[in-house]
Amino acid sequence: MSWAQIAIDGLALGAAYALVALGFVLILNAAGAVNFAQGDLVMAGGFAAIALASALPLDALPVPGLVLAPLVALAGGGAGWIVAEVAYRPLRHRPPVAVFIATIAVGIMLQHGANGIFGAAERRTPPLVSGDAVVVGGVTLSLQSLAIVATAAIVILLLHRLLERTQLGRRLRAAAEDPEMARAIGIPVRRLTALAFALGAGLAALAGLLLANVYFVTPTAGLAFMLKAYIAVTIGGWGSLRGAVIGAFLVALFEVAAGRLFSASLADALLYAALLLALLFKPEGLFGEAAGRRA
Amino acid sequence: MKTVLFLAALAALHAAAAARAQDRFHLPLLVPITGALALEGQSERDGALLALDPPTAAGDAARPLRPSHAVFDTGSNPQLAVQAFERAMAAEIRPRAMLGPIDGNSMLALLPLAEREKVALLSVSGTARLTELGNAHIFRFFPSDVVVKAAQARYAVQELQRRKIALVYQNTAYGQSGNEQLGRWIESLGAAVVYRNSVPVTTKEMSGVIAQVRDSGADAVLLQLHSGSSALFLKQAARAGLALPIVGGSALHQPSTAALLEPAELKGVCAETASAPAADPGLAGFARIFRERMKSEPDAFALAAFDAVNAALAAARMPGPLAESLAKIRHPGLAMTYESDGKGNMAHDAIIVCYDGASRTPRIAKRYARPHEAARR
Amino acid sequence: MSGRARIAAARAAPLSLAAAAAVALLAAGAGAYELRLLAIAGCYALAVLGYQFIFGRVGALSLAQGAFFGLGAYASALLALKLGWDFARSFPAAIALAVALAAVVGATVLRLASHYFALATLAVAELMHILVIEWVSLTGGGNGLPNVPGFVLFGWAVPRGWPVTAFVWAFAALGIALAANYSRSLYGDGARLLRAEPLAAAAAGIDAAGRRLAAFLLSAAFGAAGGALYVHTLGVVSPEAMQFDVMVLILCMAVIGGRNAVAGAIVGALLLVHLPEWFRALEGWRYLAYGAGLLLVIVAAPEGIAGAVEALWRRRLGNTAAPSGRTLVPDAAVPAARAAPFAEDRAILAVQGLAIAFGGNRALAGVTLFVRPGEILGLIGPNGSGKTTLLNLLSGFHRPDAGRIFLDGRDATRDPAWRRARAGIARSFQHGALAGDLTALDNVALAAYGIRARAADVFRLPGRDAKRRRARDAALSALAKAGAAGAAHTMGADLAPAERRRVELARALVAEPRVILLDEPAAGLSDAEKAALRSALREIAARGIAIVVVDHGMPFLIPLASRVVCLDAGRVIAAGAPADVIADPEVRRAYLGAGAVL
Repeated sequence: MSWAQIAIDGLALGAAYALVALGFVLILNAAGAVNFAQGDLVMAGGFAAIALASALPLDALPVPGLVLAPLVALAGGGAGWIVAEVAYRPLRHRPPVAVFIATIAVGIMLQHGANGIFGAAERRTPPLVSGDAVVVGGVTLSLQSLAIVATAAIVILLLHRLLERTQLGRRLRAAAEDPEMARAIGIPVRRLTALAFALGAGLAALAGLLLANVYFVTPTAGLAFMLKAYIAVTIGGWGSLRGAVIGAFLVALFEVAAGRLFSASLADALLYAALLLALLFKPEGLFGEAAGRRA
Repeated sequence: MKTVLFLAALAALHAAAAARAQDRFHLPLLVPITGALALEGQSERDGALLALDPPTAAGDAARPLRPSHAVFDTGSNPQLAVQAFERAMAAEIRPRAMLGPIDGNSMLALLPLAEREKVALLSVSGTARLTELGNAHIFRFFPSDVVVKAAQARYAVQELQRRKIALVYQNTAYGQSGNEQLGRWIESLGAAVVYRNSVPVTTKEMSGVIAQVRDSGADAVLLQLHSGSSALFLKQAARAGLALPIVGGSALHQPSTAALLEPAELKGVCAETASAPAADPGLAGFARIFRERMKSEPDAFALAAFDAVNAALAAARMPGPLAESLAKIRHPGLAMTYESDGKGNMAHDAIIVCYDGASRTPRIAKRYARPHEAARR
Repeated sequence: MSGRARIAAARAAPLSLAAAAAVALLAAGAGAYELRLLAIAGCYALAVLGYQFIFGRVGALSLAQGAFFGLGAYASALLALKLGWDFARSFPAAIALAVALAAVVGATVLRLASHYFALATLAVAELMHILVIEWVSLTGGGNGLPNVPGFVLFGWAVPRGWPVTAFVWAFAALGIALAANYSRSLYGDGARLLRAEPLAAAAAGIDAAGRRLAAFLLSAAFGAAGGALYVHTLGVVSPEAMQFDVMVLILCMAVIGGRNAVAGAIVGALLLVHLPEWFRALEGWRYLAYGAGLLLVIVAAPEGIAGAVEALWRRRLGNTAAPSGRTLVPDAAVPAARAAPFAEDRAILAVQGLAIAFGGNRALAGVTLFVRPGEILGLIGPNGSGKTTLLNLLSGFHRPDAGRIFLDGRDATRDPAWRRARAGIARSFQHGALAGDLTALDNVALAAYGIRARAADVFRLPGRDAKRRRARDAALSALAKAGAAGAAHTMGADLAPAERRRVELARALVAEPRVILLDEPAAGLSDAEKAALRSALREIAARGIAIVVVDHGMPFLIPLASRVVCLDAGRVIAAGAPADVIADPEVRRAYLGAGAVL
């Protein structure tokens, strides 16, 4: 198996991780809160897709997942809005750790809600595009993996345009950077924060739909995604959107490459060891704030 | 005359009371409904529930015991399992038996308690260790790893004539226990393990493992993975064009695993299991009733639990302590006939099922009666 | 009841309630099931108590507490199973091992900022989890090891049932006593300030890095103790004791219970062990109810249950501003000031060519000045000229890019803030950097000169705290000098702004400094208060202490300062007598150009 193949395999995984990490950073910047339920929102998105798929006549369509995608993203957005109102808003003036615990509670509810409704079996979502893999120059490209990369790229671009080029995006950023000032000049901070949560959760749900076709989904899958997103965001630079995406790809590539060279358990351990080394030598990450040493 | 009548009445009353006491049988079900082994635990629970509440009209006559039950989630965690046990012991009717959780760690924690409280623990866990500790209160109704791994190894080495085996196992209790047994059996059968890899449950990309398997020059792959990892491996192996025969653990027989894959991805894949209720024509009746009642496909764990509960009910009708009855009983279950080997292992047979690549339902390729004893010869 | 006693009662009440509840549960004819839950809760309570040191008091989010718990479990179990050690030996050995690991980890990662520290501890925890799973020959791997013996002490086995539960809670009680010792000591007060105002704590001589390390080691010790007790109660050791879920559980217990109250650890542990059990009737849905319950509790009581109870009590008891009947300690009881008479012209603090840039912004571009003992130096300049930056450099919060700082002739440029504080530089802050949950008296006492609180104080016998008494005596005297003796027993959060400044000044004084750096001491004060502050400062200077004052109010500063230095854009543009400096055309241009009013 060539390294080109490894790169391609890592790309799809990285694209999905990137969506999760982006959602995580959006909420982090908007609310100053670590959303521990981010991974569980991914899982919930996957199950929402499964539920929707059984309700709609999708088999006839050549692009079943494509129809589901906006629905799932919307459902995720709705869930994010609820999380913002229930877990963040009552605690927004409290120490951040209270929100952290609230999101942990939300994650527990999502996980066990899924376990109760769907059972514990691994499930898969319909693919974005039906079809077999193509082989190009000795490298096998599964259509679904290509679709994941393409979807993630489009979403990231759209998000970038939203945040950088639109009025709404500017207001979102203003509300995140200085809520008091933003409120003073008439920006509806509360609604925009909820919107950030909705965006973050929508991204997670979309990632869930994409991931669950290739890698399947089970109620306990949330924690692993959460950890990966947390790692990606930290090495990319805490709070940096660009860093989150790049961090996600780095994590995925490392996973795949280490898995090629070593046993899978060792690859896991190496990821954490590499993380420790990175933190000790470059704690501010690739793009992040100067965290550095204490006074 | 009056004395005789009086004595007769007394005797009748006593018999009636004894019969009534025998009538009440409470069986707590300690199963993991949440956590890492929730899939198998839910299956276990469903099989037991079916046995405790069978849909037969002629029920009452055939079931003088009116069993009651309670379900306790053990969360795939020994601490919670022990808490569940103690809570179950506090029931109104003191349990004489309990169905234990499928995860070996929790069972190991429960064994001393069961011994102390004189409660028979019915188990569907394959962890070999459980019956090696000299505990007189465990009764395992699923063949031990020693048995099923012997079947798995024998099929690969003797049936498929493979000599260089790649072993891919989960880094959990289930995987490590199976890995240990598989390694011993493969070597004792004259083949060699040329590759080993320990895979965490969270691993998503198996391309590295598959590439390493190829590089190792193995001519067959033996899997000891849980449902999700098994499906991921098969799917990605098919995509990578790995044309080696794959013989997997019981996770590969579970209908929920096959549901994740396209039939073509299952071509040439076999699995060991105690039984295959969804595929075995001889178990069609059970499968049909299970599907109707539980709204899901039955697997070997469900059937093993079903058989275990029925065996316990049968033993409960015998006089004397339940554990002694179970140690003596020869119970004709649906999957196989169960009989203790003196250490608590009740199941000694295994089967191999194979997928033909055209459907998600496998067919039974080979039946092994006591493969762990035959292989030693 | 005196004010302080009332505060003590308020803090003890929740603890007593929790203890009483636990006892009541035990006494209520508990069966094996209830006893089991109580024993498990006791093990977790110890782990949570330990977690409160690093997470609650120091405020660092460590994600390794579950791993220390698991390490204690594995260590004690393995020593018992492989070497046949009884609990009397395996228990301290397990704790020692965890502390050793914490020392290695802490030395390397504690300096990282919050979320990086969290991630580093997470990485360590996950590595340990993988280690116990993969090292099959030692730990039994995923299957773990069965038949871990119960509590055996010198050949005697603790009998099953309530003796085991009592045994576990005996250790928990010991943990409670140690944790209470910590929080009611000078050392614990220092930690409160460190959490609330890290810079001020450094400026008060508290070695933050040392504190954090001590807290981390304590957390590891308690965590391992909980784990060791857990594994002998359970009878098996397996990787579930080391997985991340344990960490999440401990974290939830700490926050839900109240992460700064000793009682909070007990309440949190008891509640979160019992809550899923109470919902057992819901079978598969019980964890959904558990999650909903967690959410409800945290929204209703974001400071934790203990925090909410304490807030209720404080509202009931009213403002504890009533002073105690203590008489003021006469000056003679306070040791002679360090600032012995100097040769007047020798600078106590001198700065040469100090420069620093933040990002692209050159905050200071080469500043040279000096202060003599007994001198009051005014530091003026328009906004953004670098006044506060200069003070921060003098305090030691940043290292300059260029230049040097001399304290009494010694090059102190490389000294961290806390060392400069102990060498004689004191500091006050614009917003009045006090710990809100300490009284003014305790806020001042923690900086008392020569009275060093140490981590070992945790292990003292309760009731004998001579250190704290001495420190409080010195604090009372300092408060009197700063004119704030009446506010001694008011909580920091309840002080009026003017009082806050004076309490800060007292904290600076009690450290017996040679130099005091004051940042906007007169802001928000009335004219009368300003006058009082001026005369207080003159008295202080008269005792040989040098004072550097930054203030925007010229009417306040000019009559006060003996010399004035003016900064603009990071440089000194004028220095000399106050009247001369403000008449200087450069100075006028700098101010008028920047739009400020002279």
